[in-house]
Amino acid sequence: MTGLPLVFAAPLVLLALAGLPVLYYLLRVTPPPPRQVPLPTMPLVQDLTTPERQASRTPWWLLVLRLALVTLAILALAGPRWAPDPSPLGAGRGPLVLLIDNGWAAAADWSDRRTRALSLLEAASERPVVLRASADEAQPLIATSAGTAIERLRSLAPVAYTPIRARQFDVVSAFMAATPEAEALWLSDALADGKDEAVAPFLAALGARLKVIRAETSATTVIAGATNERDATVVTLARAEPDSDRPAGIVRALDARGRALGEATFDFGGGATAQARITVPLEVRNDMSRLEIVDGRNAGAVHLLDAGAQRRKVAIVSGETADTAQPLVSGAYFVTRAMAPFATLVETPRGTDPLARTIDDRPEVIVLIDVATIAGSALERLETFVDEGGVLIRFAGSGLANASDALLPVRLRRGGRVLGGALSWEKPQRLASFAEAGPFAGLAVPDDVAIERQVLAEPDPALTERTWAALSDGTPLVTASRRGKGLVVLFHVTADTGWSNLPLSGIFVDMLRRIMPLAVPGANRPERQGEVAAPRLILDGFGQFGAPPPTARAVARSMSGPASADHPAGFYGPVEAAVAVNVLPPDAKLAPLAFETTALLPLKARAPLDLRPPLMVAAVLLFLIDAIAVAALAGLFFRQPMARAAGLVIAAVALSSVLSSPAPAQDSARKPPSRQDIEASLQPRLAYIRTGNATVDETSQLGLAALTRTLAARTSMDPGEPVGLDAERDELVFYSLIYWPITPDRPAPGEAAMRRIDQFMKNGGTVIFDTRDASALATSSGTTMENRRLRQMLATLDIPQIEPIPRDHVLTKTFYLLDRLIGRYAQGETWVESMPRATDSDKRPARAGDRVSPVIITSNDLAAAWAVDRAGQPRFPLVPGEPRQREMAMRAGINLVMYAMTGNYKADQVHIPALLERLGQ
Amino acid sequence: MVTASLIPPLGRRVAPASATAAQALAHILPRLALQARQVSAQVSFGIHGRRRPGPGETFWQFRPFMSGEPVDRIDWRRSARDDKLYVREREWEAASTYWLWIDLSESMNYVSSLALQAKRERAIVLGLALADLLVRSGERVGLLGVTRPVVSRAIISRMADAMAISHERHGEDLPEAAPPGPRDRLILIGDFIMPLPDLEARFRALTSRGAGGLAVQIRDPAEAAFPFGGETEFFAPGTAGRWRVGEAADMRSAYRERMAAHEDALRRLCLQRGWRFFAHTTDRPASEGMLSIAMMLTAGQGNAA
Repeated sequence: MTGLPLVFAAPLVLLALAGLPVLYYLLRVTPPPPRQVPLPTMPLVQDLTTPERQASRTPWWLLVLRLALVTLAILALAGPRWAPDPSPLGAGRGPLVLLIDNGWAAAADWSDRRTRALSLLEAASERPVVLRASADEAQPLIATSAGTAIERLRSLAPVAYTPIRARQFDVVSAFMAATPEAEALWLSDALADGKDEAVAPFLAALGARLKVIRAETSATTVIAGATNERDATVVTLARAEPDSDRPAGIVRALDARGRALGEATFDFGGGATAQARITVPLEVRNDMSRLEIVDGRNAGAVHLLDAGAQRRKVAIVSGETADTAQPLVSGAYFVTRAMAPFATLVETPRGTDPLARTIDDRPEVIVLIDVATIAGSALERLETFVDEGGVLIRFAGSGLANASDALLPVRLRRGGRVLGGALSWEKPQRLASFAEAGPFAGLAVPDDVAIERQVLAEPDPALTERTWAALSDGTPLVTASRRGKGLVVLFHVTADTGWSNLPLSGIFVDMLRRIMPLAVPGANRPERQGEVAAPRLILDGFGQFGAPPPTARAVARSMSGPASADHPAGFYGPVEAAVAVNVLPPDAKLAPLAFETTALLPLKARAPLDLRPPLMVAAVLLFLIDAIAVAALAGLFFRQPMARAAGLVIAAVALSSVLSSPAPAQDSARKPPSRQDIEASLQPRLAYIRTGNATVDETSQLGLAALTRTLAARTSMDPGEPVGLDAERDELVFYSLIYWPITPDRPAPGEAAMRRIDQFMKNGGTVIFDTRDASALATSSGTTMENRRLRQMLATLDIPQIEPIPRDHVLTKTFYLLDRLIGRYAQGETWVESMPRATDSDKRPARAGDRVSPVIITSNDLAAAWAVDRAGQPRFPLVPGEPRQREMAMRAGINLVMYAMTGNYKADQVHIPALLERLGQ
Repeated sequence: MVTASLIPPLGRRVAPASATAAQALAHILPRLALQARQVSAQVSFGIHGRRRPGPGETFWQFRPFMSGEPVDRIDWRRSARDDKLYVREREWEAASTYWLWIDLSESMNYVSSLALQAKRERAIVLGLALADLLVRSGERVGLLGVTRPVVSRAIISRMADAMAISHERHGEDLPEAAPPGPRDRLILIGDFIMPLPDLEARFRALTSRGAGGLAVQIRDPAEAAFPFGGETEFFAPGTAGRWRVGEAADMRSAYRERMAAHEDALRRLCLQRGWRFFAHTTDRPASEGMLSIAMMLTAGQGNAA
């Protein structure tokens, strides 16, 4: 239109403004006509007259008022919008090429990008459109309709690697050359990807036909790497713009189950890199599997740690014979208990040649308990093991006292000695000191450790330096020697309590723990040629774990490079030998992409301001003023006080309703119980959380109402009408079962709501979260919006570990015997609080934990299966629509309610035959 | 807000052909006739009185012949059945003649939202009911200037028919011709909207031969109370002028004074000539007005007798 950034949705309405002069004329010449009333008695009174008031013309200010009123109404109807940022689209009708960067860097403000792209596509709804993401295959472009492109855009998500966008430049250039009327838009994340020399020619070739929308890169902060130092994990961070205004932040370390282990702050100051030191105890440090920048929201702000940084794998081989007879006093038992907290223990294989097979398991530490003679091939392999960096810990014993081999740090004297025994003059010796150079330095020496027997080392010049711990008479208790890259450690006592009470002491645990980090991680895992690790947990562009996409391929175990399209970032391989692939190569630097020639548009177009509401409000206000003025002119106010008062009240109410926005009532701490609360406390009733989505809420209401009726008909329970709850305001304590459909299109519930739900679950209530996406999950490989929202909500809740519902869970037995809990969909999994493992001897048909599971998660859209309308007709079709699916869904609902009401009662019922028998009946 | 309107004039909206006009009126009148009969049945006690033998036409009783009477009084048919001679006596019927005038002028078409009925319909209902009542108590009733006085059980339908035929020349506010006899009585039902001098002249002409009577003034409540407000322009049906009052509420007191003065003058006019006057508004039920009129007539008859 004009230079003003003002656009009209219905500009034709503005033609009505041409009628204003006519209106002006009419308003001016015709005062409002008097009422025409018949009166037969008129001839009798015709001569009566009042002092004539000249029917004056409409006053000029009333005229102006009314003209302004009409003008405002016409303008409002025309739908004006103040759009400060004009659309970057040209007026042409040719194809529109939209190139979107969807690498990890786009994730942080992905919703802004998608909104912008959506508005662009909607503006171009009449034109052919090509939507191309930088992570797509570089195939030739094919124009589609805008609707198709919008569909594709909705399913587009950032990826967890750095796509090479230069691959797309060629196809875009080719398309643009073939269709001269086409124009192109590039929604760029503005970060260099290492192949940036193609950008400048690309921009130059397209010239004005390409417009670039450049996102802000100042907030993009990534973890470039992490190293383990002696007392802390040092995290290196990088950012693209050294001068941006968010210099500081927090790095958090998480374990494999997502629990936070530690945090550290970082501060860039004015630089491009920063460091954060996460100080956590060593054994906890080994549990770290993920480092992330708090509020990073992209895959680059996540750094995965694999086995290289994790706990050591320990194999224990025992030469004792008493193992099976008295397992609780065997040496292996003591060692196992001492090392279990900070090491992964490998079960000793039974059968012949356990040592060789243990080495096959490729542990990093091998503990030999009184294994005296090591046979030829096993000895060679064990030597290789130590040379490669393994740690061999040996405990003495009667066997070792009489025979020795090469794999000892010191030469041993035959026999050993006995202290404080019947045949000895000497008293039991105390532990005296730890060598300063050894790993035990700094440990407090306990005075309650008494050594009664030990094996003795031959005197040797090197003996002192090989001694890590010594007794009060100077004889070594622990000796060690380096061998190749590895280490051989010898405890001169047994691992059981036969020779000393060392294994009972806390110092025993400390000593073993100090030895663990000495093992070279990943030692003795020679890469077999071609050994690969299959993708297990893959990050999406937002830095959330998900199932691997079908395009992800296995990586070689030696993989160390950055993630790529074939190998997106994530964990590969089994849990115990995972390979972590990160988005960024170690010590990556971020650099903003330089656009030299092209004019850049900001990502966030300032939202167009809809001028309709203010115009309408102004018109209504003018109308009120006009009504008051007319009433005043007609003398209404001076003759009829009542009418005057009523008019003022009406005007005041109208004004206040126009001017004030409804503010939510502040709920006070001690509010009186509402009517709903009183009713809820008098009769049990089902409840659901009102989501704000009208369809979902209605479905919940109808579904629970139908379930309530069925409960009343089939069971002894007669609940009241179901109620919809506002989790933030309503009191939840009256309900035992709350149904919560997840709606990603509504804002997430607030912190207060989640705290209340948490309290509700802690008080014994059960919440059924229904993601309603079983069909979507079946067709898409990754996660759905509902799923992500649920995760986001549950992250702030203290919920127990959950598992897919086992077949013998009491929930499947509470009223009906069911195989699965199905709803509108049949294939979705139902998750409940995980129960203790069933043992083989426990042959009960139903199991239950100590309490009702506080959370039940399903994706089967239960309420939609129950919902019937007034006529009793089902509201929604079922998928797949097996003949008895609706009935089975209703049964699932009855079981759920019964479970929430009766708890593990049905699981106890299985004892009844035994109890009756015991009672003699 | 009080609204007022005009009901369609009698026969005015149909074609001038008189047959069609009669049919149009017959559509309205049966309902009115029925209503009139109901109204007169409710008050029929009020006027019966002369249940004794005397000169008349209807049979009263047989009595034994007394010697000395003229022989021609003997009813031979009755006497032939017995040994005695009988005389047929007739009921004494001292029938006076009532003339009825119902104002059907255009001003009577008025009805406001406060009223139960239009003035014209109320006037017809009252008039026909009065006719029925008078006939049943032995009087002769006629429509002034239209029919001769008759005694008939079907007086309502007969008068309705006559009105349907004659309403075209019946559109005057007050009749011009005086009733024939000095002993006759005249019942005027209408709104009496005329300038006072005209009204006085008409009354003088009507009572010049000594006829007594009753004037029933029908008013719409809106006419009586003037409940109008705001910028208003009034017009009268049947006249050309318009009465523009600025704010109608301002006129209310002046109007009421004027109307009260008019009614007082009318009442005085009646009393001066020994007439009776009754004011009836259409927001009251017709039976109530009917009862009052019947009582007035009974009292008047007592005086006359």
